[in-house]
Amino acid sequence: MSRRIRLPVVPPRRIFIGRALALCFVFLVLAFVLKVLGLPLGMVATLVMTSTFGTEFGLENLALYMTPLLMTGAAVWLALRAGLWNIGAEGQFLAGATAATAVGLFLPLPVIVTLPLAAVAGMIAGACWSAVPAAGRAWLGVSEIITTLLLNFIASYLVYYLVTGPWADRVTGAQVSSERIHAAIPVLYGVVHWGGPLALAVVTALGLLLGRSRFGYELTLSGSNPQAAHYAGVSVAPRLFLALVFSGALAGLGGMMEALGTVHRLQGGLAHGYGYLGIVVALLARQSALALIPAAFLMAVILNTGIVLQTLQVSASSVLAITGLLVFAIAVSDELAAYVRLETRK
Amino acid sequence: MSDFLHHPKTRPADLPAGAPPLLTLSGIAKYFPGVVANKDVSIDFYPGEIHALLGENGAGKSTLMNIVTGLYQPDEGELILDGYGVRFESPEAAIAAGIGMVHQHFKLVSRFTVAENLALGWRETGFRLSASAMARRAEAEATRYGLDIRPAASIDSLTSGEQQRVEILRVLSRGARLLILDEPTAVLSPLEVGELYAALRRFRDGGGAVILISHKLDEIMALADRVTVLRHGQVSGTHLVAQTEPETLVTEMIGRPVEQKSDYPRKRERLVDGAVIVLDNVSCRDRAGQIRLHPLSLEIRSGEILGIAGVTGNGQSELSDLLAGLRSSETGQVRVDGKDMRGRGPNAFRESGIGYVPEDRLHKALAPALGVTENAVMRLFRAGPIGGRLAYHAAEALRFTRSLLDQAQVSLADPSTPVRALSGGNQQRLVLARERMISHRALVASYPSRGLDIGAIALMRDTLAEIRDEGRAVVLVSEDLDELMALSDRIAVLCGGKLMTVEPRGAYDRARIGALMSGRNAEAQS
Repeated sequence: MSRRIRLPVVPPRRIFIGRALALCFVFLVLAFVLKVLGLPLGMVATLVMTSTFGTEFGLENLALYMTPLLMTGAAVWLALRAGLWNIGAEGQFLAGATAATAVGLFLPLPVIVTLPLAAVAGMIAGACWSAVPAAGRAWLGVSEIITTLLLNFIASYLVYYLVTGPWADRVTGAQVSSERIHAAIPVLYGVVHWGGPLALAVVTALGLLLGRSRFGYELTLSGSNPQAAHYAGVSVAPRLFLALVFSGALAGLGGMMEALGTVHRLQGGLAHGYGYLGIVVALLARQSALALIPAAFLMAVILNTGIVLQTLQVSASSVLAITGLLVFAIAVSDELAAYVRLETRK
Repeated sequence: MSDFLHHPKTRPADLPAGAPPLLTLSGIAKYFPGVVANKDVSIDFYPGEIHALLGENGAGKSTLMNIVTGLYQPDEGELILDGYGVRFESPEAAIAAGIGMVHQHFKLVSRFTVAENLALGWRETGFRLSASAMARRAEAEATRYGLDIRPAASIDSLTSGEQQRVEILRVLSRGARLLILDEPTAVLSPLEVGELYAALRRFRDGGGAVILISHKLDEIMALADRVTVLRHGQVSGTHLVAQTEPETLVTEMIGRPVEQKSDYPRKRERLVDGAVIVLDNVSCRDRAGQIRLHPLSLEIRSGEILGIAGVTGNGQSELSDLLAGLRSSETGQVRVDGKDMRGRGPNAFRESGIGYVPEDRLHKALAPALGVTENAVMRLFRAGPIGGRLAYHAAEALRFTRSLLDQAQVSLADPSTPVRALSGGNQQRLVLARERMISHRALVASYPSRGLDIGAIALMRDTLAEIRDEGRAVVLVSEDLDELMALSDRIAVLCGGKLMTVEPRGAYDRARIGALMSGRNAEAQS
């Protein structure tokens, strides 16, 4: 006997409470699994807390994780505004990192020139990497989900080819890695570089620009109902194309920051799944660009927790499992938040 | 069984004394959050009668039928079938009990043949299917109920009238004794309406019960035996159709009398008489290359209402899309105010002062998931004060939205509410107000009365007449001949994408226009 009904408009408070409950649910499941694995819960919790928030190393790590997550999250979020699923942030991230590395390795210029040049190169490379799927989606109706996803593998193998072949490190003999790039994004504190503040600025600017520009409005309209956008006199195809291309550029810039700020080399596993985790970040942030910040923070904490768990001999895939569980729990809670119990009045 | 005594005067006329109703609704109530959908609804449906259910949008007709067909459970009251209280836990349970519904939008698989679609509904359809057995079965059912169908034809090759026949036959062949039809004539040509009436009368005379949901009064007067009027979720009266007047029904339906005007005389002299939009030999094809609009030429003049008559799906939507620039013509040209509009998009037409209320408003003229504000400014976001060259001023958009909502007489606390949460009537009012603001030269309105209740329809028609009086042009696409004949200065008839005729006011002949709508040109003229 169903006496529940779905609200057409879900108040944000309900969503928030639902998500808090979902998070608690994830913690409970995690606690249960750790218990079954025979780990003392109190010890694990203390360890996670102290090593994430209690040490300089942990906090630095958190910031370094957050930077690429913010960028890939922003990339996926921007495409979602236009109703598109950019699954290819991973590949665009790598393309951006590769282009930035090329600038850093092969152009003997002063750092002050190299850095902006590398940033632009990264953005262009990321944009190019998403341009083909974007054109296919905008003008031919080819699903961007498949094409962007497949280009990830191409980008990944391309990077492997470069760092084991032509760009392989012949100085220190590091495996699956390019030589150290000498141009580096200036350090803010410890190992934390200026990429972090820049990423925060990009996300904030993105939110402001889309909310207050004609382009932002047209993009939202095109994403929400292409037929109505046509009726409103908006050419939908160029907007979709631009949205995906800009999305790729954001991910590419993220790749540049990672290569020149954090890793200082082009490496095989450079992308580290940031592109896919960016999807989670964007989903968590929903409508608001500023919400990308707490979402990326949460994701960074999970990544850090994964490292702590690894030191306790828990498999490295635990991060993926936790992320999956979180996405699942939040999807369910968002849906359930829309239902209210009916009050039957006599 | 006190319900026998509830409406002693309104039992069907020639019913033998003591014959029990097929289905009795007794004190049915259904509540939704903040809304009373139905309250204290008691109706008897007898075998051998066509019982019309009349009410405005939101009067609770759909909820009531959803209860009868097992989609909802009543919060109060009970359903009594053949004298026994029943509970339909699911639509399947209602079907098993002999209650079948023909929806306004047919639930058929368009790639399947008629016989295959009918087989979908049979409980006895076995594991092995033989095409010839299905066809035989379909033929047998068709003969049994006297409905003419072609078992081997695929659904998408049928007219909507034929599809409706398949839908009815499917419901009947599942053993329905009570047939519910939701707005069944909306998609039919006048000829097909006659055939539907005949089929329903045959079913009734064979002892079946029919519930007819409708807001067309003449339809109810012509077909139904009894009528129950719903208002604000409650029964406001049950009558024998033979002993009642349409005016009484209207008054009961909306709580006050509404004048059904048959004429909208000009309030002032028609000053200008220039052509606003000229269609010169335009035509359209759909994506499959099928011709949807045969080459036609038409002038839309300022200060007039041009009615476009035709059965839905005969080229009206293509024609109105052409007039608003949403579609470009294959041949010929569209001229607005003398300017050739070749290669110009909807925005150029909007700038020329042509407003457009399309047929499918929710999907074509609104973005359902976006807020009311985003939808209100949809056509006007480029110009100041809302838009700049690059900017979009949310605060100005909000101010504009509030004034538009005022004009549209829609009360809404929070304009960030998604449009899909608004009622159909309010969505329609919003689009109409927005497009009226745009239409300096002309307003193209497709089926503007759809989704509005009678009071709002009267208001909408007055608005159209006002626009005409202000010297602007109105193109009114409608399936309602009364509406067209009351408002239009000229009526153009479309059938199969062909322009059959353009009749000036004064030369209207309902029978002739009806015949032309069904494509019978020669016979009608002889």
